Amino acid sequence: MNKDSFLDTNVIVNYANYKEGISKEIVGKCYRYIKNKSGRFIVCFAVMRELENIIVKFSNIYKAVLKKLEDSDYSLAESKYLAKRDMPFAEKLYVAFKDKEFNKTKEMFAIERDIFEIEIERFLKSNVDLKVIPLEQIKIELVNTIYDIIDNYADCQIIASALQYRKEIKEGFLFVTADKKDLNPNGYDYLKDYGMLKNYEFPELHNLMFIK
Amino acid sequence: MTNRKTAEQIKEEILSCLNEQPSSIEQIRIKIESNWSTVNSYLDELSKEGKVKEIISADKAKIYQRVFGDTYFDLPITGNERKKFRALFSLIIKKYKDVNMTPNKTQLAKAAVNVIKNPNSELELPVAEYLYGAVPLMIANPSEEYTNEFEFNNEQKLAKIIETYIKETKYDSMKKIKEKNHLNYCDRLYSIHDAFLKLSEEEKWNKEKIFKVLNDFFIACPIDEEFNEIFLFTQRFVSTVRKLSYFDLLENNKTKILLTFEALWKYIATYKFYVSMTNRINDKNILNLYLGNAISVRRMCAEESLTDLYSIYWSKIDKREIKPAVSLNEISEIMQDWTGE
Repeated sequence: MNKDSFLDTNVIVNYANYKEGISKEIVGKCYRYIKNKSGRFIVCFAVMRELENIIVKFSNIYKAVLKKLEDSDYSLAESKYLAKRDMPFAEKLYVAFKDKEFNKTKEMFAIERDIFEIEIERFLKSNVDLKVIPLEQIKIELVNTIYDIIDNYADCQIIASALQYRKEIKEGFLFVTADKKDLNPNGYDYLKDYGMLKNYEFPELHNLMFIK
Repeated sequence: MTNRKTAEQIKEEILSCLNEQPSSIEQIRIKIESNWSTVNSYLDELSKEGKVKEIISADKAKIYQRVFGDTYFDLPITGNERKKFRALFSLIIKKYKDVNMTPNKTQLAKAAVNVIKNPNSELELPVAEYLYGAVPLMIANPSEEYTNEFEFNNEQKLAKIIETYIKETKYDSMKKIKEKNHLNYCDRLYSIHDAFLKLSEEEKWNKEKIFKVLNDFFIACPIDEEFNEIFLFTQRFVSTVRKLSYFDLLENNKTKILLTFEALWKYIATYKFYVSMTNRINDKNILNLYLGNAISVRRMCAEESLTDLYSIYWSKIDKREIKPAVSLNEISEIMQDWTGE
């Protein structure tokens, strides 16, 4: 029997972002992983909340670019809407669309957002078998310990949820991610041996970045 | 020998203290040099008389606000401003009567805004953006007997401005008058709001036109860190309506869409009112005492409505294929590496 998959946010986002013939290898891998589903898909509430935030961030990028297209004096760098790491994407979009018809661009951006959101929501509605660990049940001390090593609080909550769920069901599953930074195989091994995390059994890492 | 204050004097002092800002019993007690239980019992009486209202109540920490009854959210205006407003309303009504018309509330309010906003009027009276556009902070009520209690030194000039306004708008419907007010004195969000409502009145909804207006609404909607739900809810509304259209005809969900838009608009307009008042009341804690409850109620209603609309969309999501147009490839290529993390 195939193992169940506990999915990280980035796998779902890559899946929703997939475009045949355009997508990069990792995006395609995430897409195929979900399309060729084997075992159950588990999503924690921290991932669901993160997906909501990502949808807003995605919109914010387009809103900032549209503002800039509407008024060239508008500064993307000083935009209240944009996270720093989203700036390069906004700049590239601006350069690509600055000479195109504004009304068409507005609609194209909107369709891109529609499809991205629909794919995420359709996935949540029809592909997810289990939604686990409500936000209020995430153990804060566990999150804090993980936060010593991983500086993204939302990611820490997702990992904590996976560990708690593992403890709850006493059964192995895969922690599926496409993270290239903190959750590479070495980083994951390091986590397993850190402080109170030693007391937890970790799900098996299935990092699509490192799997051929 | 000290003269004891009469009950009426104490009440007058309490009211005058509350003219400036909402206050707790303790703050009033200190200002009028009285004791807690005296102030508490007179506040009770004033409350029964409808002259003050309790806006926050937590054990003994009650906060009271003066009820003026003639301004939006009972926001304070000075005595002089009140006199000027009343005189202006009186002049406008008189000018309408000169052409055998009796103005209704919209005509009176919008005419007043037109005069106040005209630089030649030299009137410095507060105006705010609210549900139906720019309004004078003092509620215009045509059934009230306004008297000329302030002598404008440029009354003839004001009369001329009013006459011109009446001439220009006397055949306009109320809707048209509001639209003109939105166009001339409000954030462009108001005109986009009008455009959306206009399109929604058509029997068969033109999706392309509706989407264009919603795209504009999305761009024009402010992002304010203090009120981040304003954009969040707008984004959610626009995207839910758009996404719903992939699975169902928008006309089939017309009522729910319009009710949600109305709830969202009320929230946005109350926020706009708040923003209009920030120049007048600099202390946001005080402004929140006046408007905090209203904003919070509007926010909750908008959220409730959005959840309702979203649940309709959610119930309609199915597996039909949505093929993105080739023209979107350029965007997709740029966004490929984006995971939002």
